[in-house]
Amino acid sequence: MPSLFFCILLLGLGVTESQASGLAPPQQVRLDADKETQTLSVTWEDGHASTFDVEILRTELMEMVLNETVGVTEDQSTGKHQWNWTSPVPLECTSLSVKVRSRDGQDVSEWSSQQILPGLDLPDNTDSQMYPEGKTVPVGSNMTFCCIVEEGQQFGSLWYKDTLVKENMLSRRTYATTMTNQGPSNPSGTNVVCSNEKKMIIAGAVVFVGYPPLPSDLVCETHDLISVDCQWSKGRDTYLFGMTRQTYYTLNGRNCPKARNSNMRCGLEQWDGNWTLVARNLLGEFRLTDAAELGHRVRPVAPVNLTTPEVYSWNASVGWLWKDKGFERLSLICQVQRTSHLNSSTQTYTGYGLNTVVLKDLQPDEKYSVKVRCGSQKNFWKWGEWSLPLSFQTKMDRPVAPDIWLWMDSDNLGRVLWKPLTKSESHGQISGYEVILWSPEENSQQTLTLPRSVYSLPINVTDRGSKVTVTARNPAGVSLPANIVIPRYLPGKNGGKRVVIPRHLPDAEDTAISKVAFNGSGFPLSWVAHANASCGYVVDWYNTSCTQDCNVEWIKVAADNTNTMVQSGNFLAGVRYKFSLYACSSESTVLLERWHGYMQELVPSRTVPRLSPNQEGADVQLTWDQIPLEHQRGFILGYTVYLTNASHLTLLANITDPQLTNHTVRNLVLGSYKFTVKAYTAAGEDGGATVSISLEPYTYWLIMEILVALGTMTCLLIVITIACYRKRKWVKKAFYPEIPEPKLPGDWGITQGTLDVKPSPHSMVHIVEDSVWDSSKEALVTVPEEDEEGTGDEAADTDEPASLRYYNQVVEEGSSSQRRPHASDSSASSTGSMDSGHTDVTYTGIQTSACSLAPMAHFQPQPDASQCVGGGGYRPQMQSASCPEEPQTGPEEHLQPPVGSFGGYQPQCSWKQDSPEADGDGLDQTCLGSPTSVTSSQFLLPYDTSEEGKEYPSSASTWFHNLLTGKP
Amino acid sequence: MSGHVKNMCPQLTISQAARTLLSLLLVAAIDSVSAGVVCRKQPCGSSLQRSLKLTKLIHKESVDLLKTYKLSQGDMSELFCQMSINNVPDPNISGLDPSERMLSIYSHCKAFLPHLKRVTEQQTDLQPPSSSLLSKLSTAHNRTNGLANQINCIYQTLFPNLPIPPEPVDGPTSVPPSQNVFQQKVYGCVVLKRFKEFLSRVTRELRTLKSQVCTRRTTFADTNALF
Repeated sequence: MPSLFFCILLLGLGVTESQASGLAPPQQVRLDADKETQTLSVTWEDGHASTFDVEILRTELMEMVLNETVGVTEDQSTGKHQWNWTSPVPLECTSLSVKVRSRDGQDVSEWSSQQILPGLDLPDNTDSQMYPEGKTVPVGSNMTFCCIVEEGQQFGSLWYKDTLVKENMLSRRTYATTMTNQGPSNPSGTNVVCSNEKKMIIAGAVVFVGYPPLPSDLVCETHDLISVDCQWSKGRDTYLFGMTRQTYYTLNGRNCPKARNSNMRCGLEQWDGNWTLVARNLLGEFRLTDAAELGHRVRPVAPVNLTTPEVYSWNASVGWLWKDKGFERLSLICQVQRTSHLNSSTQTYTGYGLNTVVLKDLQPDEKYSVKVRCGSQKNFWKWGEWSLPLSFQTKMDRPVAPDIWLWMDSDNLGRVLWKPLTKSESHGQISGYEVILWSPEENSQQTLTLPRSVYSLPINVTDRGSKVTVTARNPAGVSLPANIVIPRYLPGKNGGKRVVIPRHLPDAEDTAISKVAFNGSGFPLSWVAHANASCGYVVDWYNTSCTQDCNVEWIKVAADNTNTMVQSGNFLAGVRYKFSLYACSSESTVLLERWHGYMQELVPSRTVPRLSPNQEGADVQLTWDQIPLEHQRGFILGYTVYLTNASHLTLLANITDPQLTNHTVRNLVLGSYKFTVKAYTAAGEDGGATVSISLEPYTYWLIMEILVALGTMTCLLIVITIACYRKRKWVKKAFYPEIPEPKLPGDWGITQGTLDVKPSPHSMVHIVEDSVWDSSKEALVTVPEEDEEGTGDEAADTDEPASLRYYNQVVEEGSSSQRRPHASDSSASSTGSMDSGHTDVTYTGIQTSACSLAPMAHFQPQPDASQCVGGGGYRPQMQSASCPEEPQTGPEEHLQPPVGSFGGYQPQCSWKQDSPEADGDGLDQTCLGSPTSVTSSQFLLPYDTSEEGKEYPSSASTWFHNLLTGKP
Repeated sequence: MSGHVKNMCPQLTISQAARTLLSLLLVAAIDSVSAGVVCRKQPCGSSLQRSLKLTKLIHKESVDLLKTYKLSQGDMSELFCQMSINNVPDPNISGLDPSERMLSIYSHCKAFLPHLKRVTEQQTDLQPPSSSLLSKLSTAHNRTNGLANQINCIYQTLFPNLPIPPEPVDGPTSVPPSQNVFQQKVYGCVVLKRFKEFLSRVTRELRTLKSQVCTRRTTFADTNALF
């Protein structure tokens, strides 16, 4: 009971509210969907308001899609309200719930009952689907695609073309994505696919994105003066293909089925004067219009049935017919294009109903092809189509006069040359040539008939001033004669390559020739006008290196021209051509100027010949010959000389004078050399000729140098000798002053015994005598220790000089003769001390000279030789002597009184230069110095009164001594 | 009169020749109706070899055709062939003995023809007129028709007493009803893929049949010649 009351209360309240607003809710709400256009149409009744609230939700997820207040008026005829809504999402994607209420300002009615537009994602529709499918949309549009996943499967991903896109979930099975600003698709459309969780495609759709048509340039014309033919440009590509999506055209409402692809034309049977073209596809349509009078758009069809009623050698007439009779009454302008093997030209003709023209300036015996097209002369619009070509051949005519030239191979032998007639000159097949040789002196003529393949005739020019006439013949007749006069003057020494040499240029052959360069199309030649060129100029040319039966070409230049371009298809690269300019007159042909040049310079085809080296002392002169002309293949600009070292070339010289064919390489040291000489042109160097040479010592010069040196030395010695001889007294005084002989008081006792002296490490002898002189010490003799001990132990010690043992005994005369001269070194050095012993002078630093130390060092390792040293016992101021013959003799023998006449102690008169006989290696022992007294600084010269000097007359010292003393 | 008689003779001759020709044409027509095509008597080996060559050619072209098809269908088209489509002929050749297997080949050829035609029609609306795909599809259809006729003749030659059923033995595979564009693309891809697989199997099958049937028949012929 309470609940019933509560319900009644609520109902009462609702009625109260509804009645309070005064607005009735819409009734009989109905939904109609146009899925193609994604349009939802909502209709309802009983809504007496003009404003309604519409609410649209996705049924399954109850997501708000639209909540909008719209103004909808009632349709008076049906009494219903209708409101259309275009859904951005295809209506198939998911179910939509729609409800409507009336609104009057702030007053609203109750919501209508909710109407549901069912989607295709309902459970009873289990298949996978994708929407929209097969739509055609313009480029740049936005679209939302949805994928309904099959029942039981899981959604995977959405792909637009080959791009993975982000999706939104619309319902349990539906996922959607929105693509913006879509680009044009390919012919089969843009694929949008949906895959499941296994990345398998489960559904897909295709969208065609393109443009509406946009044709342009509509032009209509007539070809037959009756019908219309309209053409236009297709314009922008629509990117849409297929029967339903392609563009369709209509012209003035009539379909144009033939307007496909690029053939944009459409015709009408009658001339309307105004035309409208409509281009239409699924995305839109475009209109084009055109308007014109008939006479302004005439483009005649091609003439037919071309004929040649009359054909002659130099002209012909051409006629044709018109397929449409209307053109026979129209002023026409026609073009006739004629083509031969020579050229192609077009001539224009006009006329009323024109159907015949005359072609002029044709070539005889020439095949022509002609075709015709026409247009309206009045209000010309466009040329019509070309007719089919018509071929015909003109008749023959007599040929033109041959172009002849005279070429002298020698003074008397020459050739009459003429050029083969070209097709345009022969005017028919040439059957032969006729040559007439006129001899005015004999007043006779000789006629020769030559076949058509002959273009020259050898002649023996004995009659200067005669004339040659050449004519050509074909079936139509004989040409005009071509004449040439054989000149009266011919060169004497330079015949062969020249036709004539003018008197005022007798040596022009070699001196006046100049270079001419090829400019790509020919050799440009220019010259100064010549007064006698009454009949113009002739330029001929030939291969310069040709020696016999040369191919000569020529051109003739009008008299008022002073330049020409020499062109020929026979020019070859690397070939030098010589061009000669002649002035043509009625009497003779005068050579004016010559050039030579290459069409293209190449490197020489061979190396310099006869390359040979020639040694000139330390220099090498290379000589070679010039490359023959036919191998030069370009102007030789010079030569380069290289020194070849293995594969490396070192440039030695660049000879820029091509006439210079030698080069001298200077200041070479002895050895082998390889030289390479290359000639070069503007195109580069040749391969290079290589030659080798081995420089040998210059023997004669060496001998000469030695002889000169010897002679100079000899002269110098002679001069010195003479000078010394003449100044011998001065020399003797300077180097050998007289030393008074010491006077010995009393008799010197001789006491036997030894005095051991150990030389200092510096071979210095320090001998300090007591103030009380022991008279028993008559002399000191150096005795090696080993002599006493009889062992070689001490002698083997080379660090310490051998101890000297002095015997204070008087050295017997003649003992020195048995001793080696070098043995006296120590004694010589000590002579001063001995002497000082007598004079109370102390010698503290007598340096052993080189000549005395050398034998010491030499003998120390040899015990046997030490005997010689021992033999050199202390013999102050004793004359040196040779060692005994038997070096094995003991020291006792040295103690024996010397045999000879040398008379004991002789201060400053017993020194003697070491004799070569004393040692086998005499050069090493040469002593240039002499012992000197420290105090006196004078040479201690031996005394000359003994007989010993006579025993060695040939020794150098004796000789020198004699020289100084003035003895012979 | 003489002239009239002379004029009659040629007419008679012509009418006789016409009757003879008409008779021959009737026989040929009956024969072709029964077999579907007019077959020439050829040795077993050469006819099978000829069909084998044709099969190899179509198979080679079908590989290229499928490749061209995929390239013409836009992005992701490589995956289209993996989708399942009903009512597309199975590429497998059925049958136990040679006659059944040869009949299966024939039936399959016939079954593929409407599908190839349908794909051609569908692609005509999706490709530009100059597309090579259209010409290749047309060629494949024509060659397959020729191959079916050859198989028919071979079957008649090898098994003259076995009739060819009017309907495909593997059951009808009618062309699908209207399809949307995406379904057309998938359908075409599956058809061409199965067509290629079928031709591969036919190639192997014809090799086997050539070695089996023709050798056996030669042996039989030799045996008969001995007697």
